[in-house]
Amino acid sequence: MQRYLVVAALLGEDSWVVPALQITEPWRSTCMCSMSYLVFSAARRVAQGAGCTGRHWLSPGSAGWPHVQSAGKKDSLKLPALNEEELEEQFVRGSGPGGQATNKTSNCVVLKHIPSGIVVKCHQTRSVEMNRKRAREILQEKLDVFSKGEESEVIKKRKEAEWRKQEKRRRAKENLEKKKLF
Amino acid sequence: MFPAPMEVLSRLNRMRCTIRLLKGPERRQGLCSASGSAARPAVVRLSVQDATALWERQFRQSGVSEPSLSSQYIMAHVLGAKTMANLGPDVLTKTLTDIQTHQFWKLCAKRLTRMPVQYVIEEWDFRDLTLKMRPPVFIPRPETEGVALEPSPSACSMPYLRAVAVDRSAEAVRLTQENANRLGLQDRIEIHQLDVTVDAEVILRECSRVSALISNPPYLFSKDMTSLEPEIIRFEDPAALDGGKDGMLIIRQILALAPQLLTHNGLLYLEVDPRHPPMIQQCVQEERIAGLHYLQTRYDITDRPRFCVLQRRGTED
Repeated sequence: MQRYLVVAALLGEDSWVVPALQITEPWRSTCMCSMSYLVFSAARRVAQGAGCTGRHWLSPGSAGWPHVQSAGKKDSLKLPALNEEELEEQFVRGSGPGGQATNKTSNCVVLKHIPSGIVVKCHQTRSVEMNRKRAREILQEKLDVFSKGEESEVIKKRKEAEWRKQEKRRRAKENLEKKKLF
Repeated sequence: MFPAPMEVLSRLNRMRCTIRLLKGPERRQGLCSASGSAARPAVVRLSVQDATALWERQFRQSGVSEPSLSSQYIMAHVLGAKTMANLGPDVLTKTLTDIQTHQFWKLCAKRLTRMPVQYVIEEWDFRDLTLKMRPPVFIPRPETEGVALEPSPSACSMPYLRAVAVDRSAEAVRLTQENANRLGLQDRIEIHQLDVTVDAEVILRECSRVSALISNPPYLFSKDMTSLEPEIIRFEDPAALDGGKDGMLIIRQILALAPQLLTHNGLLYLEVDPRHPPMIQQCVQEERIAGLHYLQTRYDITDRPRFCVLQRRGTED
């Protein structure tokens, strides 16, 4: 099966320049990550979605771009998918056989993104699988901020929300002033 | 009467404060303030942080496992949340009401007897579901959440799925029915009180073939039962845990029945002890259980080999 190594060069804009290089196995050994590039192994999804060779121009909004949408969120951000190969996951592992032999409530998930060194700890829920899912969502957001800085969708959204809040306050204040005049 | 409340009360008494507890029998004699009978005794309230820390200390001193987590889960529950993380840091300095203090003390006292947290608060989460918990019905383990992922998703997420559940325990059947009703799944799941080792004929007669058979059977080795934590020994049904001398008693029965219960190419998922996968493989090969093939061993999130996947491959149903 052909794999596509997708190297995304950061332009600091919404669109990404994504040259797709068609390479055969083993591809992992050629996978490199530096501060200026984000390397995504979008192998299966890009291959299935795009189904073409050579150069692609993909933007986060296009149909072929793999993203993970958080279920239940109103306006979910379309962030690039995480590559499980680059993640290291840890749970509290007791001694002994586990399973039926123990009753533990600890389900904290520690998720590390190896290339960037970003570590996320999640114990927001009482379910280990939900914590795993949530940890990945948080990591996606952190990675977006990490790689895009000011241009990150996460930061933009946060700033927008903050601006809206300030606008609301300002307008409310104005209205109050107007009422005082009467 | 429990040491922790006494400790708090005597400490508060030394500070010349009173604490008024709601119920009569728990009212302490001789701990009234010296300020006179006319004035209503001042009620001292603890902050969320202080109360949680107090009981964490108490748990730790008494050798209760997971002292910090236990205290936090119970506190979150008293405050109406699932975890303290959901509540945010501001809640820590808030003062508990009388009712909350009383409730927290009552529940922590139960935990002090080594009752599992899940039984103390009478609920727990399994993936995205909140389920009612009640002793002695077996508490789902977190590792089991992993096997429910693929390719056998929960009934909630796939509306066209129908399920039949069997358990030999009447209490388990009752609790499962309760949970099914609460989740609106009563039309999609049938629950029967049947023992797979004794009622095989009934099961084969009553249940039509299924495309997936999922089981977390009692799989502990009998000799390991005595070394279990108090949480398990004192509160959980041993019949849900004890799998006989080699833990294979119920597993063997399920393997024997699987070819008659599964559709063609149907899958059997077993959650087992880490020692079982090779034993099950051997069992399937030696006894040449008609049409049953061992597909793979899967590992749980702690990297233990705990799930066996088998498939029924026959020429006809």
